Amino acid sequence: MTTLRSVTRELFERMRDETVEIDAEFVVAPSSLEEAAAVLAAASAAAIPVSFYGAGTRRDDGGTAPADVVVTSNRLNRIVDWKPDDLTVTVEAGVAIETLESEIVARRQTAVLPETAVGATIGGVIAAGISGYRRLRYGPTRDRVLQVRVATGYGKVVSGGSPVVKSSTGYGLPRLFTGSLGSLGMIGTVTLKLWSQPLTAATVEIGDAAAALQGIYRPLAVLETSEGSFVYLGGAESQIASQVRRVGGDPHPGLIWPEPITGPLRIEFRVSAPFVPAAIERAKHLGASRWIAEHGIGRVEAGLDDVDAEDFAAARTWAESTGGVLVVTADAGTGIDRWGTPPASIEIQRRIKAVFDPAGICNPGIMPGGM
Amino acid sequence: MRWGYDDGMDLAARLIELLGATRVHTHPIDRLIYAKDSGVSSGDPAIVVLPETTEEVAAIVRMAAGADMPIVARGAGTGLAGGAVPASGSVLVVLTRMNAIYDVDEIGRTAWVGPGVINLDLSDALVDQDLHFAPDPSSQQSSTIGGNVGTNAGGPHCLAEGSTIAHVLGVEIVTVDGDIMVLGGAAPDPPGYDLRGLIVGSEGTLGIVTRVLVRLTENPPDVVTMLISFDGIGDAARTVSDIIGSGLVPAALEMMDGPMIEAVENFVHAGLPVGAGAVLLAEVVGHPAGIAAEADLIREIAVANAATDIRTATDEDERALLWKGRKSAFGAVAQAAPDYYLNDTVVPRTRFVEVLDEICAIADRYDLRLLNVFHAGDGNFHPLISFDASEQGMSEKVVAASHEMVHAAIAAGGTLSGEHGIGIEKRDLMSRVFSVDDLDAQARVREAFDPEGLLNPGKILPEGSRCFDRPAT
Repeated sequence: MTTLRSVTRELFERMRDETVEIDAEFVVAPSSLEEAAAVLAAASAAAIPVSFYGAGTRRDDGGTAPADVVVTSNRLNRIVDWKPDDLTVTVEAGVAIETLESEIVARRQTAVLPETAVGATIGGVIAAGISGYRRLRYGPTRDRVLQVRVATGYGKVVSGGSPVVKSSTGYGLPRLFTGSLGSLGMIGTVTLKLWSQPLTAATVEIGDAAAALQGIYRPLAVLETSEGSFVYLGGAESQIASQVRRVGGDPHPGLIWPEPITGPLRIEFRVSAPFVPAAIERAKHLGASRWIAEHGIGRVEAGLDDVDAEDFAAARTWAESTGGVLVVTADAGTGIDRWGTPPASIEIQRRIKAVFDPAGICNPGIMPGGM
Repeated sequence: MRWGYDDGMDLAARLIELLGATRVHTHPIDRLIYAKDSGVSSGDPAIVVLPETTEEVAAIVRMAAGADMPIVARGAGTGLAGGAVPASGSVLVVLTRMNAIYDVDEIGRTAWVGPGVINLDLSDALVDQDLHFAPDPSSQQSSTIGGNVGTNAGGPHCLAEGSTIAHVLGVEIVTVDGDIMVLGGAAPDPPGYDLRGLIVGSEGTLGIVTRVLVRLTENPPDVVTMLISFDGIGDAARTVSDIIGSGLVPAALEMMDGPMIEAVENFVHAGLPVGAGAVLLAEVVGHPAGIAAEADLIREIAVANAATDIRTATDEDERALLWKGRKSAFGAVAQAAPDYYLNDTVVPRTRFVEVLDEICAIADRYDLRLLNVFHAGDGNFHPLISFDASEQGMSEKVVAASHEMVHAAIAAGGTLSGEHGIGIEKRDLMSRVFSVDDLDAQARVREAFDPEGLLNPGKILPEGSRCFDRPAT
């Protein structure tokens, strides 16, 4: 720390971020990605662990890595270039998703970011690789990240992808960084593909979510939750009316999403779509107080007070036997391994980690297999 | 020298032992057959092999890598950027025999398929399930799913559905070490890095794809297909911009200019308006109530931009005929002139009209015959120069003009390739869109998969991409 302390004092004092309450030796808020790269270069040289902070809404994902330096995206907070007539936007990582969505709704557009991730930043959502419920209709977040500009662990600013809606130009770095949990470096700027909001939308409470999914054409989302099952529809009014006739139930205007899962312990089954009903049963068996299942996607998120380690292990074994996983997104101090069996490609994954973070300083241990 | 004649012969004998003599080719004539894809470059493989199983591919890769020979994977060879052109002295792995469709999951809407499955055959096989594979490159009657994965292929319907990458959930690959592994899968958001996302579009440089888990798309309940004619190409281009600007993303929004209309009509007789300056082929799909309104909006915008005629397909036969016109464009041109050079660039859709003007001006300046057919809704240009390569200096002129067109697209904030890939053709243009540090990072990614650079060498990244100034740690 001595080296870093002196280096940081001199070089990075003006980046110091006093606004965020995090337990770390230094909290710095670079004003540009070049500054972030300089911090990472210095940290790499001194082998000092670094983590990244957006709004702190997903600090539990993958466990909190021990870090002496925390780099925040507080000062990377500009909407750089919104091209409404191209349905794209370039935005810095520290912009809150509500800030972006409330700006672009002026032209009835949406970045289809997670609907209930209140306070989260763009950079945080992309680093965590999370998608909204409307991925059933519009695909996952990673399919809309057209270009990324990142500061690598080794301290260089690197761009990948292309700022246009369609590209086959070089390796897919935007997808690599999406979901990398800050283990490869810091995401600074992204270009996102946008969609138009449907003219009207409705939420319909239904009896059988699985049947509804098979019975209607391209709903926005089909959720089965501990509070009931819902189909989310978008489009022209006559179109919604006709779809409602097919599924039955009373439509409520607008999209009414379930309250996000809270609770000391949060888990996620990620299984192929046909296993959703079985995953719901498993979640109930584990003692879930609340759960939200995405039909057609395969994600079943559940909140628990605590869990029996053996029951959890059995549920994980089941999930992995179907080709899926059972991951812990908030562990409540249980110490349960968050990811389960590492993927078959773990050796290549380690080499990818080493490519972008050769000194192993970026959120060490946050990825599967202790990467 | 990396490999020698004797090594090559020895390897061939061992490959024959593995695959049998009918699936290993070393004769110059056989090698010539596989020397090219559909682009302009060619190479000379030492050995051509046709495996039928993943295990055979793994054994081939182990043997070839053991002999330090480059390994190039290939599908049907319809690529236009040279991605499947064999490196000299390479082992060319032709995957067309691995063409089984297995494990169709109707509820989860997925299927595992071999890389040799022909794109259109997959959708045809799913008719009874009311499903299809959404990426539909114009080559779909002959291109393979493995090739589509290699180039992250597009097609007209990628406008609303996204390119191949959005429809590939997982891949089984053989690594350069001969290991077999699955990346991704049917479950969402697998933990770890999205290596599947790296493989798609990597043109066989990171591993050989031996099976693909594809996402299937339900067939829409209703379709409206319209052919809209204009006197001037600018009117058509403005119509495209206004449609996207309205927030409507049609299922497809394709454009052909006057010279292309004429060439296509002479070839397929689809009833295209010969003499028109440009046509748009616009398609909306979905719920009948929704798409009627969308089709009306498109017609309104077209009329406001001086459309001269709007023809709406009245049945599936007419729709198929209109699409046949669009998808036969390259065949039509091939019939009209001995050679053609097809480019593939993308610009922000807000810059579409001006870049189109510039592309036409470049062709005029070089006195070249230009035909335009493109995925207008995506801002994806396919300017096509028709020429006779036997004319003195002509090929050089065509390449020079094409490069200027690419530069015009980049200057407008665009990129090198929308769907054909980089291959050999655009490799040396990569530094136009990526910095030294960007290319270095990509070269490092490649090394993570293939440290010796044996897999499809000389593609995508220009020579010298790798910087060796890794900071001391």
